[in-house]
Amino acid sequence: MEANNTANKNFSAEDIEVLFFTIDGTIYGIEIKYVNEIIGIEQITVVPKIPEHIKGVINIRGKVVPVISVRKRFGIEEIPYDDRTCIIVLEFDGGEQVGIIVDRVREVIVVNHNEISRTPDAKNVNSNHYIKSIVNLESGIRLLLDCEKLVRDS
Amino acid sequence: MADMYVFETTTLLEQLDQILMKTESESSFGEEEINEIFRTMHTIKGSSAMMGLDNMSKLAHAVEDMFYIIREDHPEINSMETLYDLVFTASDLMKAEIELIQEDDYSPTDFSGQIARIEEFAAVLKNGEKAAAKQPEAAKPAASAAQPSVSGTSVKVTFEENCKMENLRALLVINRIKEICSALEYTPSDIEDNSDTADIIIKNGFDIVFTPAQGQTDDSVIDAIKDCPNVKSCEISGKGQAAPAADGDSTAVRIYFEDDCKMENLRALLVVNRVREVCESVSYEPADIEDNSDTAKYIIENGFILRFKSDKPDMVLRVIEDAPSVKEYEVISRPSGAKSGNAAENNTAPAETPKAAAPAPKAAPAAPQPQTGSRPAPQPAGKAPSGGAKQSLISVNLNKLDTLLDLVGEIVITEAMVTSNPDLKGLRLDNFQKSARQLRKLNSELQDTVMSIRMVPLSGAFSKMTRIVRDMKVKLGKDVDLVFEGEETEVDKSVIDQLNDPLMHMVRNSMDHGIEDSAEDRINAGKPAKGKITLSAYNASGEVIIVVADDGQGIDPTKVLAKAEKNGILTKPASEYSEKEILNMIMLPGFSTNEQVTEYSGRGVGMDVVRKNIEKIGGTVSVDSKKGQGTSFIIKIPLSLSIVDGMEVSVGDSIFTIPINAIRESFKAKPEQLVKDTDGKEMVMIRGECFPLIRLYDIYDLKPGTEDLYEGIVILAEGDGKCACLFADELIGEQQVVVKPFSPLLNNYNVKQHGMAGCSILGDGSITIILDVNNIISDF
Repeated sequence: MEANNTANKNFSAEDIEVLFFTIDGTIYGIEIKYVNEIIGIEQITVVPKIPEHIKGVINIRGKVVPVISVRKRFGIEEIPYDDRTCIIVLEFDGGEQVGIIVDRVREVIVVNHNEISRTPDAKNVNSNHYIKSIVNLESGIRLLLDCEKLVRDS
Repeated sequence: MADMYVFETTTLLEQLDQILMKTESESSFGEEEINEIFRTMHTIKGSSAMMGLDNMSKLAHAVEDMFYIIREDHPEINSMETLYDLVFTASDLMKAEIELIQEDDYSPTDFSGQIARIEEFAAVLKNGEKAAAKQPEAAKPAASAAQPSVSGTSVKVTFEENCKMENLRALLVINRIKEICSALEYTPSDIEDNSDTADIIIKNGFDIVFTPAQGQTDDSVIDAIKDCPNVKSCEISGKGQAAPAADGDSTAVRIYFEDDCKMENLRALLVVNRVREVCESVSYEPADIEDNSDTAKYIIENGFILRFKSDKPDMVLRVIEDAPSVKEYEVISRPSGAKSGNAAENNTAPAETPKAAAPAPKAAPAAPQPQTGSRPAPQPAGKAPSGGAKQSLISVNLNKLDTLLDLVGEIVITEAMVTSNPDLKGLRLDNFQKSARQLRKLNSELQDTVMSIRMVPLSGAFSKMTRIVRDMKVKLGKDVDLVFEGEETEVDKSVIDQLNDPLMHMVRNSMDHGIEDSAEDRINAGKPAKGKITLSAYNASGEVIIVVADDGQGIDPTKVLAKAEKNGILTKPASEYSEKEILNMIMLPGFSTNEQVTEYSGRGVGMDVVRKNIEKIGGTVSVDSKKGQGTSFIIKIPLSLSIVDGMEVSVGDSIFTIPINAIRESFKAKPEQLVKDTDGKEMVMIRGECFPLIRLYDIYDLKPGTEDLYEGIVILAEGDGKCACLFADELIGEQQVVVKPFSPLLNNYNVKQHGMAGCSILGDGSITIILDVNNIISDF
């Protein structure tokens, strides 16, 4: 799965590129292959009768894209948007785009597959639900999020 | 290339089905139809060979051959059903093959079984023709049309009147001359076993084709015949085999193909096929181009020699010139001497317009009818309207139309962006406004035109059902009429594509479950023995309504409920379900009331798929049924999916668009109009009628700009036959919007059910949500 987009780069096929961002002080990562673009916060149109964590829809060059608040998704209190608030636009198979609102975007790091370990099987921990694997970097331990679950599961 | 082939062949096969269906219901073949089928098969054969699809080409060839016999010999067809079966199966096989071709790992299917069946039937037709003998025209040289395997002299023997048992007398003749002939064949052939042939012999005479044995001459054989008892006369009707087309009469052309065009032999075949369409007696060299690919080389080196006879050689030459890949040609020889053709022309071209193909001067053996018309030629005016397939049409890739529609949508948005640009606020722009109005007018015309290009009548989708009904009629042994109403109603192409499957499922359901199993059941119920399925379509307020109705046994709600309970799909106590709810349960996944799974239905996926497919295109399905009287499925689909005239209203920070065709009026409410019932539910009284009041901010949990009914605006909207008043802050204006569907993520949360049809981007880049009044009224 990780091999898809990285074949012709100068690192091994098992390595993955990860985009890191912060939510409420914690650093999370997502695989870059899902990331289409990163934009600043925009006017969000509210859509009634949908779960709270979906904030509404935005217009990205003529496409109507729903946006999700990661804070709300994790059950953390939302803060007012500022100039560092970003929307990371993810694209899934079949071209479906979804934006996720994060506090700030950090950097992209190539992660060696040796540095990745699976999550402990502990479904009773709430936020574990969205975590795909744990990355052990020199700068510390980071959580890698499962984009599909982050967006799709209710 | 492959696309073109697939498209063409599919269209041809559909036409074929239509012709077959028409002739089957009239239970007779007209000359026009036979020609049409023949031509269709001929074209498929040619283009399949061109594509290297040997199996397709051979199958088409077999059918073509069969119709050749039908056309030339007019045999009496004893078993129409077999004939139709053969042709329908062939058409099905070809359709399936076309589907397969479009897949990557295509390998040709073996059609030899079907081909053998067709050939067998064709042989029967041929012999039947002999048995049935021929009218005066049988006087033509037997060696040509009937093509007996024996070549030789043919004679017609007649017997003395009232001699009785002509068949046995004929047998006697045969026995007599058997010894002095090396080969012998006769018509009718079953004189020994079939005493009916006596009548035929009396009427048409007894035809014998023979080759004299060594040491005998034609005359000695004829004398022997004349010596037989009761023989009245013996006339020679033909001598020897018809000579091959005399070179002196025909034009010979040497054709060269473009360098490196590949498959010269098949290209040559294509040319031959085209030339055949416009003239008769075509011969060519090398002769085995169809089967022998080595001939390609020969053609490259020596050219391809084509001989044809026509009284308009120039036109034929033009056909050759226009054929694909032909580089050049030279005329080697022209017909010599004056032609006897013109005299024959008048009586050989009964129906065709003079412009259609050149009716070739008839060489003696040909049957008195023109071979074909050249295909694009105008139809004779008297032709039945059902042949509407040939109009001045072009086929366009649907993707291009989609792009065009998208572009028009963008133009509509951009126009709004320009004309209501914030930079223009407060300026006096008389000329600008004038031009803007003109632009808007043109844009809306452009949009109408693009939409109308995409509109397709439902008749195509409907007529596909004839085929299904026909097949099921045979298989299930039920007699059913399929009736169309309003099939000329048009819907968007993208809608129609999604409609085929649901329609098919519903028609199958009606055939299988709806119509009673036996005619007695129907008669006992006081209904005509013949069942009836009606497909009807009509326009109603921006929607197309399609109804599939049968007059069968209807749905038994108690049975449905019991079944639903058994399958565990009930969500509340059984007694709480209304009849309508129960009926609609048949569209839930995993539901099927038929005890037995048949080939056609009963897997419990059908109606579920129907509902899903219809909902995908923004439509709804509902069921209406009366036990013992029949069932109707009612499909409502939007006329078009993409551009809507809408009224924008604001509610707090949100902007909603209400489709104009759902709005009856909008007004400021006055205190005396407001009525409250005992539950505190608000209603608005308009001209003596009360309508429920729906506050948009309330149903959508929004922060309103105003809660004061008299400050905001009330919109009387209509949907699903019911009306309600929607309350919003204010009207913003009317605008055309391009509907963009919600992303799948939002669709998961049933936004459609909550009255949101989609969204759209406004001129300033903001997003508006398009409301679906039907769902709002039924949901809130």
